Amino acid sequence: MLLIDLCIQGLIQGAIYALIALGLTLVYGLLRILHVAHAALFTLGGYVGVVVTNGSGSFLLALLTAMLIVGCVGMASYRVIYKPLLMRPPLIALIASIGVFIASEELFRLVFGAYGLSYTNPPLKGQVEILPGISLSHARILVVVLAVGLLSGMGWLAVHTRIGIAARATVVDPAMAASSGVNVETIRYASFFIGSAFAGAAGVMVSLLNNLVEPTMGAVPSYKALAIIVLGGLGSVRGALVASLALGVIEAFGTIYVGHILDRDSIAFAFLIMILMVRPQGLLARG
Amino acid sequence: MPDAVPFHFMYAHNAPVRFVGGAQHEETEMRHYIKSALSTGMLATGVLAAGVLVAGSMVMSASADTIKIGFNVPLTGFAAADGQSALHGAELGVGQVNAAGGINGEMLELVVYDDQASPKEAAPLAVKMITQDEIVAGVSGSYSGATRAAATIFAESKVPYISAYAIHPDITRAGDYVFRTSFMGEVQGRAGAKLIGEMLGKKRVAMVTLNNDFGKSLATGFKEQAGNFGIEIVAEYEYSIKDREFGPIISKIKADKPDAIYASGYFFTAGPMVSQIRAAGLDQPVVGQEGYDSQKFIEIAGGASEGVLITTSLDRDSSAAETKDFIKGFAAKAGYPADMVAASAHTAILVLADALKKSGSGDKAALRDAVAKTDLTASTGHISFNALGEVQKDVQVQIVKNGNWHHHSVISDAVLLAPPAQ
Repeated sequence: MLLIDLCIQGLIQGAIYALIALGLTLVYGLLRILHVAHAALFTLGGYVGVVVTNGSGSFLLALLTAMLIVGCVGMASYRVIYKPLLMRPPLIALIASIGVFIASEELFRLVFGAYGLSYTNPPLKGQVEILPGISLSHARILVVVLAVGLLSGMGWLAVHTRIGIAARATVVDPAMAASSGVNVETIRYASFFIGSAFAGAAGVMVSLLNNLVEPTMGAVPSYKALAIIVLGGLGSVRGALVASLALGVIEAFGTIYVGHILDRDSIAFAFLIMILMVRPQGLLARG
Repeated sequence: MPDAVPFHFMYAHNAPVRFVGGAQHEETEMRHYIKSALSTGMLATGVLAAGVLVAGSMVMSASADTIKIGFNVPLTGFAAADGQSALHGAELGVGQVNAAGGINGEMLELVVYDDQASPKEAAPLAVKMITQDEIVAGVSGSYSGATRAAATIFAESKVPYISAYAIHPDITRAGDYVFRTSFMGEVQGRAGAKLIGEMLGKKRVAMVTLNNDFGKSLATGFKEQAGNFGIEIVAEYEYSIKDREFGPIISKIKADKPDAIYASGYFFTAGPMVSQIRAAGLDQPVVGQEGYDSQKFIEIAGGASEGVLITTSLDRDSSAAETKDFIKGFAAKAGYPADMVAASAHTAILVLADALKKSGSGDKAALRDAVAKTDLTASTGHISFNALGEVQKDVQVQIVKNGNWHHHSVISDAVLLAPPAQ
């Protein structure tokens, strides 16, 4: 029973990782840039979620607003940070991204205060017994529903719509895609919007599970999401999903059984190193 | 483009949008960036330097006849919330001393620096406070890492230094000039064992330990005394300060079925932890420590915080005038209720002010001796120091009731709570 419970806890954490890592792997696939500032968008989602919920009383409204706002800020980050640097070595864009990420932490602190924000009346607190002896809060169930819904929705878009097919073509060969009439810029903006909106949704859900949004909430995702996309195979969407779920479960078991030797991050990176020794290209090379 | 993406972690050479020239071109391009980066850096440094000069001269102009106390505190970075509270507490103390006529007619002045809770910031700031600002003594409103780094410099320079709430054992061991007005982790851990084993009568305990110096030293003290109070530790789990998600640990505790949970942490880890513990249906008593001691803990954990017990320094329901004044003054100044770090910083300032009054002169050795002989009632109770400079005072047990911290009990067992003397 404990083993099943730990698996479930791990998959919930993995679902959150997946929502965050998706945007990162999309951006890497399109631009070959490691978008560290993505984690700042995750934090922004958390803040929008708390502020809108506390202001309006509607969590659904907060979730949608957060996804919309964070998606737009994601597009703006492409326009303002990355687009002017596309002709530069990727290292320059990476440094800019890290700079924006660090600055954003202090900006959140200045705007929202150092203590962080909490829900005055946290929604979705009810419990459901999913298996005998294992009950989950509505919030945790929503994390899974949201991750499955959003990610399969995106999968459907990628396979069945013109923009999805164009996006995949752009990842494989931007020059050829452009010469076949694909508007590469549109694809980039759309990818930033979707990836950022998903990170925003993850931010809202994490803020609800912890009932706390802090300026430094993005610190762990900023590097763990990088580990996940490396683990999955850089640029591979499917790989990132598999890696997210695997990492969530490995961490859940690791925290209990080797937690006194390695903390959660060390477990994640030990797992990453072990996998890369066997499969240097990552779990799934390209999805 | 090839189908498989080569693996380059930080620097992807094959960016499809970039390669326009050969190696030569790339090199000149690189140089160009380095140059512009350097000039931007220099410009930024210049601006910063100008800012520091302006700030510095402001301090100078205001400080003709004042006694300066250095105060390093994290005002940015991850510890900024505690830093802000500590600063309010210290400023309140300085304000109270000055309003009551200062130190034999001279006013106190707080020289404040942001150390970001980082040793590499705190060390140079300590040097600056001692050599340039010419402070008579220093107070740390910061965490252990930064405080240890600064304490060494204060001790070597023979300038008195008080750690307000940093708990690492090595801080006071830096030298004779370093004191601490808060409990060491071990001492509070022992008090926790007495609280659970004797006062609550719970014998099977699961420990959740924060794996930094704070949590580890609490766990050491708790385990040292657990046997004496008949406690059986059924399991101990560790987590890092970055963790906010405790699902797996809580699932395992559920299976362990303990009578009580002894969990170390700060309000920003303990808040999510306690709310997740209760959300998972566990109803055992949760016992924490001074790291929980903030109204923000109650705000984060919400209804789940009801009944949580902590060992700490500040008694919200104290009838002592010093504590009542502090609690009232703090809420008026800061706009939110007082917490442990604020009370500790406030106490440290009052200890220094008291010693300054008694030592009279500007002599730092005399001031150090006066601090060592402290016998003062402050906002966190009656303060005196042992030979190592560790505080000797009672442990307050507080409980959350109706959304506020309240008095539960006091542990005043001098033998159990004796800090190490060397």
